[in-house]
Amino acid sequence: MNYPVFLALILALVAAVAWPRFGLLALWQRLRANRRRIRTEDALKHLHACAWRGQSATLQSLAGALHLTLAGAVRLVGELEAQGLLRAAEDGLHLTPDGEQIAVAVIRAHRLWERYLVDEARMPLAEVHHEAERREHSRSAEALGALDAALGHPAADPHGDPIPTVTGRIERVESRPLTDWPLDAPARIVHLEDEPAALFAQIAAEGLRPGQTLRVLESAPQRLTLSDGRKTFALAPLVAANIFVAPEPANGHPADRRLTALKQGERALVRALDDGLQGFTRRRLLDLGLTPGVPVTAELPSLFGDPVAYRVRGTLIALRRDQAEQVLIAEPASAAPAPSPSAQE
Amino acid sequence: MTTPPTQADTLLARADALRQALPENFRDQLVQALYTEAESVARRAVRAEGQRTDWDSRLDRLVTSPLFGLPIMLLILAVVFWLTITGANVPSALLADGLFWFEDQAAALFTALGAPWWLTGFVWHGVWRSLAWVVSVMLPPMAIFFPCFTFLEDLGYLPRVAFNLDWLFKQAGAHGKQSLTMTMGFGCNAAGVIATRVIDSPRERLIAILTNNFVPCNGRFPTLIMLATVFVAAAFPPALASVAAAGSVVMVVLIGVLFTLVISALLSRTLLRGEASAFSLELPPFRRPDVKRILYTSLIDRTIFVLWRAIQTAAPAGAVIWLLANLTLGGRALAWHVADFLNPLGWAIGLDGVILLAYIIAIPANEIVVPTMLMVYMGVGMMTDTPGLTELRTLLIGQHGWTMLTAVNLMLFALLHNPCATTILTMWKETHSLKWTTLGALGPLAIAFLVCFITASLARLLGWA
Repeated sequence: MNYPVFLALILALVAAVAWPRFGLLALWQRLRANRRRIRTEDALKHLHACAWRGQSATLQSLAGALHLTLAGAVRLVGELEAQGLLRAAEDGLHLTPDGEQIAVAVIRAHRLWERYLVDEARMPLAEVHHEAERREHSRSAEALGALDAALGHPAADPHGDPIPTVTGRIERVESRPLTDWPLDAPARIVHLEDEPAALFAQIAAEGLRPGQTLRVLESAPQRLTLSDGRKTFALAPLVAANIFVAPEPANGHPADRRLTALKQGERALVRALDDGLQGFTRRRLLDLGLTPGVPVTAELPSLFGDPVAYRVRGTLIALRRDQAEQVLIAEPASAAPAPSPSAQE
Repeated sequence: MTTPPTQADTLLARADALRQALPENFRDQLVQALYTEAESVARRAVRAEGQRTDWDSRLDRLVTSPLFGLPIMLLILAVVFWLTITGANVPSALLADGLFWFEDQAAALFTALGAPWWLTGFVWHGVWRSLAWVVSVMLPPMAIFFPCFTFLEDLGYLPRVAFNLDWLFKQAGAHGKQSLTMTMGFGCNAAGVIATRVIDSPRERLIAILTNNFVPCNGRFPTLIMLATVFVAAAFPPALASVAAAGSVVMVVLIGVLFTLVISALLSRTLLRGEASAFSLELPPFRRPDVKRILYTSLIDRTIFVLWRAIQTAAPAGAVIWLLANLTLGGRALAWHVADFLNPLGWAIGLDGVILLAYIIAIPANEIVVPTMLMVYMGVGMMTDTPGLTELRTLLIGQHGWTMLTAVNLMLFALLHNPCATTILTMWKETHSLKWTTLGALGPLAIAFLVCFITASLARLLGWA
């Protein structure tokens, strides 16, 4: 091969590898730094989660959560301690204030993204956790602030977990697992544990969502029987333990009637929109005039019977079944004049 | 945090605290307050007169009934097509005659003035002829189709179609209004892509944009009709010929609808995951259409707009076509060299190099596919009109070895291949995303190649071709 060409080739190769910012070497370094940051953030999040539950994080729990070997976890803890993000003590690992700040910021990003994915991108609830895990690490404070504002500063993620405020405050919601709940007392779902994913998928498949009101009908060692007034659910105690409930507020309506219950030509008053419904779809239904107290008539089914056209405020509006499901209507007997806004829970 | 809290910090903290105190769905209350206010204004200002007429709701029940809903819809669609295709024939021919007459006169004038042959050829037989072709093929059908479409829209029938078909689209993870953008696509895919603005959720809108290409537009109908008459109709006795031709075009359209639904379902399960969502559709009362408005929106907003974009892309295409046909290399037109190069690929998908070449040149406007193909086949220096049926059969089957496989695959290719440049440009303008525009342009092309490759291989395996 002739000499200058050879030299040029070598030079090009060296440049491709070592070029600052764009070379392979720089790329690889950036990739590694990024992965290290993600691991750091995941570790801090784990510590925060343990502290939140009132447990103490250990090397073993950290290794388990991050899929590391014990030796890897020891190395990671050493690194983080050197950075002043955590403190290893007799009773386990603890976050320093700096570490806590990072952890809370990541959690805030995670929960805001979940809220976004469910409300605006309308991903199925069972899939958002995984996607949010990916997105939580690439956050800039401004982008998150904008997201928060666009979502209307939501207080909780779609699983019912409180979203930390920008100053890092996390509102604690008192709740108990469903397995500890007395029989027949109305319980409102406030939180669904999203890990492990397999158990959460079962909860999501049953259609259980935060805001729903349930009663425990029967509690046997093998399974719990629940009812929301329309449907009964049978859950293994292992699954039910991941559902956290709180007492139903006094003005709750245990047996909700939905818009889908209306037969053709029937009329009812809208009571409220389901609390599980947030974001884009909720705004849309409100904008169409489905506000509490407004009369609705089921007027026209479509060819296949699925969207049904309802007459609201003199306009014919077609709604799909799953949307009409989200509109709660008053019992015909209690069809009183428009209730005051405070009648919502 | 070691720095003392600033005024902004205190303010933010106070805002946070106040926000916590808001009831959970205070936005509901806001909307309710707005509605209450609006109601009280309306009560004072608006007097309701007369009841909803009975025929209105009876008509509603008829067009959405499980028994008659679908047949009525198909009938109306068929009537619109029939009007468009037969109604456009005469004005198309008149326009073509006029524009080509002008070309002859202008070319003669150029020659008389002593302009070199290549200048005359390039300007008049290349650029002008391509423009004339696109205008005469495109303008009359659009000038008929779009007013029909707007008429049905204004009447209030189209929202009922979306209402009826929504269930189908819901199964595919898409929006019922996609049926409207598809119908619009029959007129022009670029117009169809613009029409997706009526779909208010971004995910479903993107699906509608990416799949709009699978309904054949006015520019592709002539190809389909030509193939149907030359190949399908010829296989039937003369009495049935036109029915058979029409039937095969309908078949192709139905295949297109099937592809739309399948690809929509695929997209909503892979790249555009999400639940079929937030469907809400207002069904306006039936009302008497306003003729002036129909003419304005359909002719100015839709027809002229689309035509202008098509003209912009057709002119350069005309130049390229003329150059390919008239530049020679080793005694053969450049077009043939390219066609020979493309031949193996064309053979693999049951077509040939000339057809692929025509499709590459015709990226700006699908109207010129057939004329370009004929130009190359006949070895003339300019785009050429379809000769008589018998001559066409001799040319394609006798001299260039077309078979039934070529015809079927060309129909499929015409249906599925990449959108025209105008549509691609419109996709870019509507999405502002290079990623989605690329997918919208290359995805259908890949699907067309795949489907044609499969049918060609199957046919050859089974010994049909």
